[in-house]
Amino acid sequence: MVNAIFIIVIGLGTAFLLGLLRETWRHTAYAVMLAALAVMAWIAVRWLLFFAVDGAAPVDILTAGTAPPFAINLRLGITEAVLMVLVIVCGLLSAVYMKESLLRLGRRAMSVLLVFIMALCGIIMTRDLFNLFVFFELVVIATAGLILLSENKQALTAGFKYLIISQMVSIFLLIGIIFTYHTTGTLNIDGMAGTSADMLKGAGSLAFFLMLMAVLIEAKPFPANGWALDIYESAHPAFSALFSAAMAGAAAVYAVDKLLLITGPEWLPAVTAIGLISFVAANLLALAQSSDRRTLGYSSVGQVGLILVVIGQRDILGDQYLYIAGGILLSHAIAKAGLYWISGLLSQRDLTAWSALRGHPLLIFAFISFIAMLSGLPPFPSFYAKWELFMALAVEGRLWIMGFILFGALLEASYLFRWFGYILKRETAEEHKDAQILSLAPHKLVVILTAVVVGWGLAYVWGEISVYSNLLYALPLLFALSFVLLDWLPAWIKNTVVIAGMVAYFVVTYPLYDPLQLIFAVIFLLGGAVIFLASYHAHGRRIGFYPSAMLMFAGLSMLIVAEDSFHFFAAWEFLTIGSYFLIIRGKHSEPHALSYLVFSLGGAFLILAGFVVAAQGVQLFNLESLSQVAAPLAPWVFLLLAIGFMTKTAVMGLHIWLPGAHAEAETDVSPMVSGILLKAGLFGIMILLMNMGKQQLYGVELTYIMLWIGALSAFLGNLMAAFQEDAKRLLAYSSIGQMGYALFGLALMNQLGWMMAMMFVINHYIYKSMLFLSVGGVAKRTGTREMYQMGGLIALMPLSFIAVLIGIIAVSGVPPLSGFGGRWIFYNAIMSSEYRLPMILIFLSGPIAFLYLFRLIHTIFLGQLKDEHRKLKEAPFWILLPQMIYVAALMVFALVPGLALRKVDAYLNPFFTDHGLNWEGLTITSDYGYWSPVSIMIVIAVIFGVLFAWLLFVNRKAQKVKQFNIVYSAERPFRPETTHFAWNFYAPYRKAMGFLMQPLVTRFWAAVTDLLHTLADLVRRFYTGNGQTYAIQLLAFVIIVYLFKMEF
Amino acid sequence: MVTIAMLTGFILILMGLYGALTNHNILRMIVSFSVANTGVNIVLVAVGYIHGRTAPILNEAVPAAEAAARIIDPVPQALVLTAIVIGLGITTLMLAYAYKLYEMKGSLDISKFSELKW
Repeated sequence: MVNAIFIIVIGLGTAFLLGLLRETWRHTAYAVMLAALAVMAWIAVRWLLFFAVDGAAPVDILTAGTAPPFAINLRLGITEAVLMVLVIVCGLLSAVYMKESLLRLGRRAMSVLLVFIMALCGIIMTRDLFNLFVFFELVVIATAGLILLSENKQALTAGFKYLIISQMVSIFLLIGIIFTYHTTGTLNIDGMAGTSADMLKGAGSLAFFLMLMAVLIEAKPFPANGWALDIYESAHPAFSALFSAAMAGAAAVYAVDKLLLITGPEWLPAVTAIGLISFVAANLLALAQSSDRRTLGYSSVGQVGLILVVIGQRDILGDQYLYIAGGILLSHAIAKAGLYWISGLLSQRDLTAWSALRGHPLLIFAFISFIAMLSGLPPFPSFYAKWELFMALAVEGRLWIMGFILFGALLEASYLFRWFGYILKRETAEEHKDAQILSLAPHKLVVILTAVVVGWGLAYVWGEISVYSNLLYALPLLFALSFVLLDWLPAWIKNTVVIAGMVAYFVVTYPLYDPLQLIFAVIFLLGGAVIFLASYHAHGRRIGFYPSAMLMFAGLSMLIVAEDSFHFFAAWEFLTIGSYFLIIRGKHSEPHALSYLVFSLGGAFLILAGFVVAAQGVQLFNLESLSQVAAPLAPWVFLLLAIGFMTKTAVMGLHIWLPGAHAEAETDVSPMVSGILLKAGLFGIMILLMNMGKQQLYGVELTYIMLWIGALSAFLGNLMAAFQEDAKRLLAYSSIGQMGYALFGLALMNQLGWMMAMMFVINHYIYKSMLFLSVGGVAKRTGTREMYQMGGLIALMPLSFIAVLIGIIAVSGVPPLSGFGGRWIFYNAIMSSEYRLPMILIFLSGPIAFLYLFRLIHTIFLGQLKDEHRKLKEAPFWILLPQMIYVAALMVFALVPGLALRKVDAYLNPFFTDHGLNWEGLTITSDYGYWSPVSIMIVIAVIFGVLFAWLLFVNRKAQKVKQFNIVYSAERPFRPETTHFAWNFYAPYRKAMGFLMQPLVTRFWAAVTDLLHTLADLVRRFYTGNGQTYAIQLLAFVIIVYLFKMEF
Repeated sequence: MVTIAMLTGFILILMGLYGALTNHNILRMIVSFSVANTGVNIVLVAVGYIHGRTAPILNEAVPAAEAAARIIDPVPQALVLTAIVIGLGITTLMLAYAYKLYEMKGSLDISKFSELKW
């Protein structure tokens, strides 16, 4: 094994050696530098493997042939090895990336880069305080040199600001070091940690404080970090990558970690607080940014703040400390470096200029991977790390820290995914300008892709060493990821693979499901496969569709079989992200997809909080153990989980994302996200209620509140649906109402209520998927979704008409279709419960549903055909096919509902005191009466047949008339529009009930968003850009922290 | 003696910081930081000084056996040398920057270089 001091020696030696080369031998110098970095990297990797694979103990490297404290010693353990590999490899990749700049500036710049990397390694390895100072100063000098690699003239001012700050830092550091030395008699960190704690009281404590502050400021905490943001914005992106990933994110935080060894736990709360404030504030301020590199700078400050929080909490993290800190640190480093490297491909600095990446799937995949790492999404290390961190925080009851982190993380995800929306949706000025905005140099692409590969590799490693099973082994997820590689195939091949895969997976996993899971599995997997039939209508390759869709279905299929909270939550995140990518594919869905994501992640974070609070440190927390959560915590856990799940079902108040997201999605995506995805929320609520049952918070029955929320959602959702002009928005609002019914049923907490909810789960999947497809098909042909622009399509699109007709019969709950079954069970359910008031609301929403359903048939298919629609054809075959399957399914389900429900009924029996239904033969009996689907069907069929025959008989002599063979008030209409008026159809009702339609909720959330943005825009003005102001802020920061520390 | 040196050192540091934070001229700021650095160096030396002892050089006057009792603490002295060298490096770099900044704007007023902000 090569002595690790050679990392320092080679770095420094080569830097001097480069000075001996001729100025003109630039390529030689470049090659020498790369070789030196490669050797350094090799040494570090060897040591890393030595520690990681062989499990070796840390080694001390002595200098000057003398043991510490008389000479400097370096230490190399697994932490140091990991960090050095990170620093050197990042340096090597950045050096490759900066090839042109380095060749232009020659060997001096290359030496400076080597010194920079070497000094960072020095900071990581040294155990001597003064040595730490020296390496820090080397970093300062090297940074001041490397900033000038940038083509941005302003980099010069940023460099000078940094020098001002570093002067202040070095004064603090030196004073701190010398007085700490004076009190403890040693410069060795371990030696100091060994001295008794009393020595660092009084003046000694002040000395330590100055030292800690100096090192902390190198980690760029808010608000003493204006200079760092300026560097991030103006430096060469490859240097910003190094500065963020290697300097702040690795060396500086590790120096903080080492210093804290000296005083034990005393300073940990202060570091936590500083980190937490940085994390939240930086992510808040980033909301108001428009420059890409400055945004990344803010994000970097935030992430380093998060690492500081982990360092500050290390007293409670125990063995998990390195796993957690490492997960966050490495994810941040790779993602941030990768994003900075991508920014170097673009010549414009506005966030929206990144739309030039569109059309480069590989770069988009890289971008997605990076922002997923930053947001802590599975399967990346930061996901595992955050989970473990929250577990530890919950055990200790440090919930407010968890709350702040989650809030900051939500802010961060908002601006990162908003940015992603820009990439996919924003127009570039002119198409031909793309070539100028984006320049794809091969060596730069290699660097970026290396980062992607390393990121996924680490995701694998973190999964391997976690106590949970590796998420990357999950078959559905692998299936989804394989479509990233298969994306070059034509869509129809991929579609066939998808359908076959989903059906096969269902068949294979069939024995695993209990009856309740089985219903969901059928809907998710087989139901999904049916919807995919409609996807055959798409031509070309449909890049990005299949990985996203499969990610969602992977999440769904993992969700139903998840046994412990970790896998449940991971599956939840997968389906959230997958569906976001699906939704954003719609033409105008950029803002809606973002609001969907923000609400969903907010909900997911509540679920996360609920789970970790419930688990109290139990790592493999079984979902069934939710029932054993003790009294003071239980209602809170219930509340967190319930709100989280209800975000997904879009209850009133949390619903504003749904209409846009579902309506703007593509034709075959709308049924997926409506018919299928919404059920995930219901599934969550079922799991929750089944295990936690009724909970009381301050004497209020929580299920009772849920009941009210369900009733209000049903009522208001239906009402809003009735006033829509856009057919797909109408269906979307109707989903809110339908989910309200289901929620109501579940919250009744009796067996019949649950049966009714199950009925709604199945029915809603079938008819909502069907209606979305029919309406989508119609919209495809007519080119509009506004219903009043349609009319009379019955003759041209008869099959779509039949589908809609059957659909609305089923939704409205009239006999003979299964909707009636739902209502029947539902009426039985409320007969046996005592909640009268919400019941009235639910009753009222029934007729309202008629209003909007009637519009669907009347406005689109009946009335007068519009002139421009005379030559329309029926919807495409592949969109019709699933609709016809659904018609058949509705019929079958209407005849034999017991097929699906009787097992569920039996399964639910032990959970409830009341008894369910009796499924003797073909008749279903309850306490109040019976329901015989087959006889109802026969009766209706006979009546219908008789009436129809009679109609044919009396009309046999009827005369066929043309469209305008009519006269109104002695006036002959000349245009169809004048005879078929359907805009603002329910104006009278709107007059009566319009006050209920005030967009109060939308306004509330808009106000929250505005407030955050205004706040961000105000606070960021604090960074005036004046180097001197930054220095004063730094001084104020140090003094304020000291005062706070003295106070507490 | 030690107290006076220490006091002088701290006064210089405070003077330097005050100057650096109040002067808008970049050159004056650099000079102020130099003053502060000098103060730091004096403090460093003062911490290591022990009254009545000699320089930490081992020769005929101070044999190795008696060294521990007769010399002052050599560590701060070593540190101060390094600190001076580094201080010199940083000051030089700042001056070079000042020159370039002046070329860029024709001014040495720090508040003129605030295009990067927010």
